[in-house]
Amino acid sequence: MAETSFQELKKERKKVGISNTLMLFIVLVIMIAFFGITSQIKFDQQFFFSILNLIPMLSNISYIGIIACILTMLLITGEIDFSIGGNIGLTSCLAALLLSKGINGGLVVLICLAAGILMGVFNGFIVTRLGVNSIIATIGTMSIWRGIGYTLSNGESMLAFNPVIDYLGRGTIFRYIPFPIVLFIIVIIITYIIMNRSKIGRRIYAIGVNPMASYLSGTNVKGIKFLLFIFCGAAASLGGLILTSLSAVGMPQHGQGLELTVVSAVILGGTALSGGKGQILGTLAGVLILSVLYNGLTMLNIMYFYIQIIRGIVLILVVATYEIRQSRALRRV
Amino acid sequence: MTENNIVLKMENITKHFPGVLALDNVSIDLKKGEVLGILGENGAGKSTLIKILAGNYIKDDGEIFIDGQKFEIKNPGEAMASGIRVIYQELNTLNNLTVAENIFIGEQLVKTRLKIVDWKSMVRKSKMILDSLNVSLNPKAVMEDLSVSEKQVVEIAKALSKEAKILVMDEPTAALSEDDTRSLFRIISTLKEKGVSIIYISHRLKEIFEITDRVTVLRDGKKVKTLVTSETNTNELVSLMVGRDIKEMYPKREVPVTDVVMEVKDLNASGIKNISFALKKGEILGIFGLLGSGRTALVKALFGANPVKSGEIFIKGEKVIMKSPRKARDNKIGLVPLDRKMEGLALALGVKENITLANINELGKSFLINKKTETLKAEKWVEDLSIKTPGVNTEVNSLSGGNQQKVVLARWLESGSEIIILNEPTRGIDVGAKIEIYKLMQDLCEKGAAIIMISSELPEILSIADRIIVMSKGRFTDEYTKKEATEEKLLSAACL
Repeated sequence: MAETSFQELKKERKKVGISNTLMLFIVLVIMIAFFGITSQIKFDQQFFFSILNLIPMLSNISYIGIIACILTMLLITGEIDFSIGGNIGLTSCLAALLLSKGINGGLVVLICLAAGILMGVFNGFIVTRLGVNSIIATIGTMSIWRGIGYTLSNGESMLAFNPVIDYLGRGTIFRYIPFPIVLFIIVIIITYIIMNRSKIGRRIYAIGVNPMASYLSGTNVKGIKFLLFIFCGAAASLGGLILTSLSAVGMPQHGQGLELTVVSAVILGGTALSGGKGQILGTLAGVLILSVLYNGLTMLNIMYFYIQIIRGIVLILVVATYEIRQSRALRRV
Repeated sequence: MTENNIVLKMENITKHFPGVLALDNVSIDLKKGEVLGILGENGAGKSTLIKILAGNYIKDDGEIFIDGQKFEIKNPGEAMASGIRVIYQELNTLNNLTVAENIFIGEQLVKTRLKIVDWKSMVRKSKMILDSLNVSLNPKAVMEDLSVSEKQVVEIAKALSKEAKILVMDEPTAALSEDDTRSLFRIISTLKEKGVSIIYISHRLKEIFEITDRVTVLRDGKKVKTLVTSETNTNELVSLMVGRDIKEMYPKREVPVTDVVMEVKDLNASGIKNISFALKKGEILGIFGLLGSGRTALVKALFGANPVKSGEIFIKGEKVIMKSPRKARDNKIGLVPLDRKMEGLALALGVKENITLANINELGKSFLINKKTETLKAEKWVEDLSIKTPGVNTEVNSLSGGNQQKVVLARWLESGSEIIILNEPTRGIDVGAKIEIYKLMQDLCEKGAAIIMISSELPEILSIADRIIVMSKGRFTDEYTKKEATEEKLLSAACL
């Protein structure tokens, strides 16, 4: 068969233009500028960029972002974890319960993280060993975790005060930088290195692109998926602890619906549900866009109902843009 | 016009795929009640041409005329409506339904008033169609209980359930025994008498001579020539098909065969029974079998992807329990699988990533990948195997079939495989690349590798393999040295 000339192929590649991730960051910058200017006009002073607004927003971003980065890796293998919201509820109740028994704060953190790992082990076992589709498996465990949370707390909220727990969500480094943000940045760096530079990251991508070819090349496909479910469980628990700290209460309703927010952010960031495609920086952009949008619109006194509608529209618009860009790129080649 | 008995005319059909010109100005014509053979190696463009006719692909250029009328086929429904029926090599039967349900799938008969399915008349009409083909099959039988050849008959019956003007058969005998082939030919003759025009695709020359009236030869996406079958001969067809003479097509070197590197004793697994053989260094062991003979099940069992129930595998004298492909890889076994796109390559990744896929651990000392090392390794293989690609970062999807196959092979060379199993290594690749693959295989043997080649292409296996084992129904039925083996012997052993 005649080969199309390689020069031509190369040229075509270049025309595809800027990456999706770059596009997201441009959108983000425009959004931030917009809210900065409108808040100036509306309040006659800079509210959006004030410490009063930025610190709570960034703290909220961080626990969602930590989970989103880890979930990105799982999603790239083509699996998903919907049980993160339930995990947060359970962790939050467990933490408050243990604190109420007078257990040392540091130990509580360790126990909660261990619980998160255990929840990940369950998910991993059900998906990789029993062969249950991960959507179904984790919708199931989501309900189980939350149910256990209700059981632990008797359905009530419990105060959760403790120096260690407080620091986790509300502590600061160098006086101004919230501790959860530091955690988030560390998670971004680690997951970025894993996905862009490491051997296991390469395996994760390859599994997502073609699990069969990866398996037949000697990759331990099930083992890697198992490991990522464990990471997800631990990340969700860490998120649960931060949320407990931020709100100073442990309650089973914590994290309700959060799984959809996190999945939306990851998808918005360009990760494909079918696996094989996704970037940690894209997820970062996705998380920031959704949070800034929520924060900015709230600041402008837009009613929550409308914010919901706008968020949905943004998600669909961005993903539709990906699809259109992709099919154009394909047509060019 | 003098052409009024021409049912179908495809003129100057051109079709591009990424990186490949699959069809280049191909024209064919088909007369009423004739059998037109389309002959060509794998990758010559036969299937692409048929898929355009069936509405599965849209042509880039060219024209199609049916009964003299220009006709744009945009989807399979339109092709069906104009009387074109295609029976593909991979059967599309629904195995948990009955024969009658399969025949009338998509257009079930309904009782006029109530619009409910009329089972009785479906069964009755199925019986009529099957009778007209001179086969006795119970319309109420469930498909999964039928043999491959019976399923094929059902496909033909399905094609005929509505009026068929043009019937296309894509390698219909790939899974058939000698007897079944006979009865298929009887059916074809019956259809001819009824005025149905048939396009018969095959690369088995014997069949072409037996059943076709004319034959069009394709090579590398181009039409070479159309001949009247009775006025040509095997040699002419082969040289047209291959574009060079046989010796050049299948270069064979003598490589000294030494110690046994792999020994299999009484292996049983899903799809295979009591398999025993020994493989020696420097040897190319051919395994021949028809579709469904257990070839692929054997390959997967040897490679740890099909759990072994009983029996033993020894690698260089040591017993190995092949529990996963990882274990196979660690024992220096490599696999070039049957389906390059589904099982072989991560298509959306680059050439580089695909070459190093089985050997990621060697890409750096720590947990990180040393990108420079990786690029150097990949570039070395691209050069050594002369893989045609703009660069090692190019998506492997945009390479031609032959170059993709070389990428898969490079992966196993990179991981130092000493036993390489190739399942239909030249399927869907062009003639030039085929010759290169044959040469590569023998280079490897000279360097001390041992090769197991599964193939259903007779000329290929007869010329390239040093020893041929024939498989049928999951068992080894016979074994021949290169000298002993003939086409007839292999085919008859494959139907045992």
